[in-house]
Amino acid sequence: MPELSLAEKLEILADGAKYDVSCASSGSSRRNKGGIGNAAQCGICHSWTADGRCVSLLKILLTNACIYDCAYCVNRRSNDTRRVLLTPAEVAELTIGFYRRNAIEGLFLSTGVVKDPDHTMELLIEATSILREEHRFNGYIHVKVVPGADLLLVDRLGRLADRVSVNMELPSRESLQLLAPDKSREAIVAPMKRVGELIVQTKEERKVSRKIPPFAPAGQSTQLIIGASGESDLQIVSLAAGLYGRLSMKRVYYSAFIPVNTDTRLPSVVGTPPLVREHRLYQADWLMRYYGFAAGELLDEEHPNLDLSLDPKAGWALRNLHLFPVEVNRAPLELLLRVPGIGVRSAQRIVGARRGGHLSLDDLALLGVVMKRARYFVTARGRFGADMTPDAAGLQARLTERTTPRPRWSQPSLFDGANAIDIRSTITGEL
Amino acid sequence: MILRYDGTFAGFLTAVALARERSAEPEAITDREPEQQGLFAAVEEVETDRDRAGELYQLIRRTLPAGAVQTLRYAFHAGEPGREILLFRYLQLGLTTGPRFGAMLAHEAVIPVWKLARAVGREAHRYKGLVRFRQLEGDVWYAAMEPDHRILPLIAPHFAARFADQRWIIHDRRRNEAVAFDPARREWADIPLEVTGPLPLSAGEELFRDLWQRYFDRLSIAERHNPKLQRQNLPLKHRRHLPEFERE
Repeated sequence: MPELSLAEKLEILADGAKYDVSCASSGSSRRNKGGIGNAAQCGICHSWTADGRCVSLLKILLTNACIYDCAYCVNRRSNDTRRVLLTPAEVAELTIGFYRRNAIEGLFLSTGVVKDPDHTMELLIEATSILREEHRFNGYIHVKVVPGADLLLVDRLGRLADRVSVNMELPSRESLQLLAPDKSREAIVAPMKRVGELIVQTKEERKVSRKIPPFAPAGQSTQLIIGASGESDLQIVSLAAGLYGRLSMKRVYYSAFIPVNTDTRLPSVVGTPPLVREHRLYQADWLMRYYGFAAGELLDEEHPNLDLSLDPKAGWALRNLHLFPVEVNRAPLELLLRVPGIGVRSAQRIVGARRGGHLSLDDLALLGVVMKRARYFVTARGRFGADMTPDAAGLQARLTERTTPRPRWSQPSLFDGANAIDIRSTITGEL
Repeated sequence: MILRYDGTFAGFLTAVALARERSAEPEAITDREPEQQGLFAAVEEVETDRDRAGELYQLIRRTLPAGAVQTLRYAFHAGEPGREILLFRYLQLGLTTGPRFGAMLAHEAVIPVWKLARAVGREAHRYKGLVRFRQLEGDVWYAAMEPDHRILPLIAPHFAARFADQRWIIHDRRRNEAVAFDPARREWADIPLEVTGPLPLSAGEELFRDLWQRYFDRLSIAERHNPKLQRQNLPLKHRRHLPEFERE
């Protein structure tokens, strides 16, 4: 068999990595210390592919060979595909070549599991340390942790990378057993816990001495596949809430299930992947992280799934009409954040602007409030701007008008905390 | 009164200082040929006076909150003709209001300037990702762009910090302005630049362009194909100097 060219290897290994939806390059502010590159706190997108997702990192596998046989995975052992391997030095060379051209913000390195988890982790660590030490690369690096690897290796990797992640993939123990029988829940959760502890601990130590290298300064993330197994949105959202709360997770990514294998254990999907459901889950996730919503406020046993035709904040508002309308000149920030049509930025702007004078309904639109939705839920100087008093049925009809779900939103969250790229911070340089 | 200045920030501030002295709002402050010269108002050439400009700038910094000063600086880089008079009104209000100015976000003199600043800030942020370098013979890294606003001075510090060991040039082909960075002195300089012929690429450049194009094509997931979303995120006007779209 002739040796494959670097270009052919790149194609095969990019193909194997693209289903991982994590793309963010934010949350780290590494400085260029006498080499090449730095990391921008707000994250930077460099291009957008034909599916509308952004390109921020060179997202690639070290190898697509794998000892596991997970039903949903394109690289599973039983698939008859060509297996290739990049050397750690080749990974570094590609990263630097693209980085110097400013085509990428850094590296996202994932891999199949070769030989055993420890060996695989050592290869990842080698690629990362070649970049950091030989090339003196200070750009963003996100590396996968291999479940089941020695926790000391997790420790080493986290000191080199900006972000580490362990993919959970399946939201419950049962689905995991069915679809990824080679992996155990424990093997996934143990490194997550370790990473969580080290992040907290290192932050404390660095308060005492800045000489201690940061541990995964951009935090850890994970990915859940949506629609490959039978979990409800309530189960998924509660799981995410737990990950944010207990494991100090930075991001949970939701990936609409795309059938890449034929397997009787998987649902037979016809048509497009559940992109609207994925979008609604991202919205719910956003509400939990930035708007102060608890999982139980968005979903409960009676309503275990998100409404596909209505965004989760509007859904919550319709169930809680007794709280509305709110007077924008008086309402506290927390309540403004709960008004449909008012986002984090416009809520902050309202609070800022009303110090300078009473706001009218017209002012709200200028401050970025989406009045099409908000007018049913606010008053300004006591004035109500809609032609109807809110009742749930009528409002539901109004709010879903012409907003029938279109599968346009693949990943609303191009940067971690899109709110972090609040333009004011771009302008003032405040972080 | 129509005031014509040289296009620099100092020139603009000189014009503002002049107008303030006369306690009059000019019909226009501009750095280009007025279209209807002398019909209603005479065009007055403003000679940039760095001392006066500096004095006014100190007054602005003392009086306006820091965020408002940044908004002013960003909005000044906007490509829109007529921005100067908006900035003038913004400044007049800010200088009479003082620290409270920061809370006047909904004021009619503030909103248009704030919107300009936001547009400039967004474009500057966006081009941190869209400036694409090519390696030329002699190890110079060259990037061409055609932004709507004058964002070169706003993005130069980002690239100077990031590519501190490269000799690079970022070229605004719309305005024939460029920034050149010298890694030995760790400094950048504004230079006028016009490129007419094709540029001599380094030996490795074709290889990396090919690698990048192949990589880019593989990244898209067929089942999620959505060119409309792609166009929303990356309008056609921004694709002109990106190698991954060169073949379209």
